[in-house]
Amino acid sequence: MISTLLLIGILVAIFVGYNIGGATTGPAFGPAVGADAISKTAAGALMTVFFFVGAWTIGRRVVDTLGRDLVHDPGVFTLEASVGVLFFIGVALFVGNVFGVPASTSMTAVGSIAGLALAAGELNWAVMGEIAIWWIVSPFIGFWVSLVIGRYFYAALNRRIAMERSEGPLFEIDRSGIVPTPALTDTTNLREVGGVVMVVAIGCLMAYSSGTSNIANAVAPLVGSGELEMNPAIIIGCLAVGIGTFTIARRTLETMGNELTELPLTAAIVTATVSATLVIFLSAIGIPASFVIIATMCIIGLGWGRATRPMTVGEAVRGEESAPVSVGALSEDREGEELPPIGEEEEPERIPKASDLFDPATTARVVLMQNVVPAIATIGAYATFRFVPIFGL
Amino acid sequence: MLSRVLVPMDDSDHAEHALEYALENFSDAEITVLHVVGVPSMMMGDAVGLSLEDDLEEAAADRAGPVFERAREVAAERDREIETVVGVGHPARNVIDRADDYDTVVVGSHGEDWNRATHRFLVGNVAETVSKRASVPVIIVR
Repeated sequence: MISTLLLIGILVAIFVGYNIGGATTGPAFGPAVGADAISKTAAGALMTVFFFVGAWTIGRRVVDTLGRDLVHDPGVFTLEASVGVLFFIGVALFVGNVFGVPASTSMTAVGSIAGLALAAGELNWAVMGEIAIWWIVSPFIGFWVSLVIGRYFYAALNRRIAMERSEGPLFEIDRSGIVPTPALTDTTNLREVGGVVMVVAIGCLMAYSSGTSNIANAVAPLVGSGELEMNPAIIIGCLAVGIGTFTIARRTLETMGNELTELPLTAAIVTATVSATLVIFLSAIGIPASFVIIATMCIIGLGWGRATRPMTVGEAVRGEESAPVSVGALSEDREGEELPPIGEEEEPERIPKASDLFDPATTARVVLMQNVVPAIATIGAYATFRFVPIFGL
Repeated sequence: MLSRVLVPMDDSDHAEHALEYALENFSDAEITVLHVVGVPSMMMGDAVGLSLEDDLEEAAADRAGPVFERAREVAAERDREIETVVGVGHPARNVIDRADDYDTVVVGSHGEDWNRATHRFLVGNVAETVSKRASVPVIIVR
């Protein structure tokens, strides 16, 4: 007999999963859909499948961390408290979607659960500390890896990946046989297929990584409460995510200013690969990862590395790269130099410098902003569970 | 006599009003429209996209094209011509850095993205910041 409260718990978990599906399909398959490589429906299907695989294989470790290890006594997850935690996660997702502040679901989940555990005096500080340290370290790893790629390898990668889509659909369905098989159309070239396969494959990798880290956010409180077994919980959560990928994800794929899709394709592939790999690694050691922050630092690292790239003499002579590259050196040269005589222009125009795009203050603001929603959830959860006496603590 | 006027513009109506105001009230002045691209955003996608281009100058000019086109149309309706200049990065900082070369700055009260919470936090109100920190008089057009 399922109690009303458990039913409410499951419904809230489904709501959270539904929103996760909507929010993560964009970053994962936005580039592929944008390049017309696959349809939105196909994106939803791939998202659901790979999310499930990630959740089933590695995701359960994060569920364990959130539902059992983070608290000394899983007894704090009364059904009322579990619903409360899920409520905070749901609100965070909602706020993120409405105000366009990409809030890390994982950080919000950990924050809400930590708030609950703290209020009950059951927070395992050792586990909390380990998670917090990884939250600080992992964005730096992503930043540096992307920075190195941006500085030394981006140009070469970009030449190799350069995907120019030809007119017309990529595949046509060959119905001459008994089984309809997709065949390449006449306008498709092999290099194009390589690019498309790559974009879709990376979408699948991201869907997988999302499953490893995000399933816990929807179901960990219910699993921790002991009211729901791990396997049924994962299946229910994945179904909810699947519903999200086929419904609201259609809209988020289109409208949400998804910044990963705004990037050039090569950049999207690099940042997606680096951040997905990091997230999978963290999930494998049971750490709920903050994908949004890792991805943002990867993006900034890539751009910054590219902006400060060195240029070989050979490239400069052959004119393969534009001249104003070594930003620091350029500005030093100009200082104290007499203004060069310029044809029609009366005053020398300031050359836009890539370094102007990134300043530490703005980057700090970006990071701060991404921590706002999880911080509010943590404090809100603590205050609620501490002072509102309806959670059976 | 104010002979050099800087008009920072984004793609909003407010920016267009600022340009119209400048054209009508400084009939003899040389008007320069500044548009800033690669503005900071939540995940810095726009800025990074720009920094990854082979030729930053050219890419920045490309992105600023539509705004300048619109500005030239507005000016042409009044038989005027404008100068254009592209900046990258933080809008207010771009305006403040350049303000020295002009006699006044004419700016719209707020831009297109003003209703986005993230934009307010990351970029702020350009008109307000410029009026506080620019070295020349600033006219805010409503």
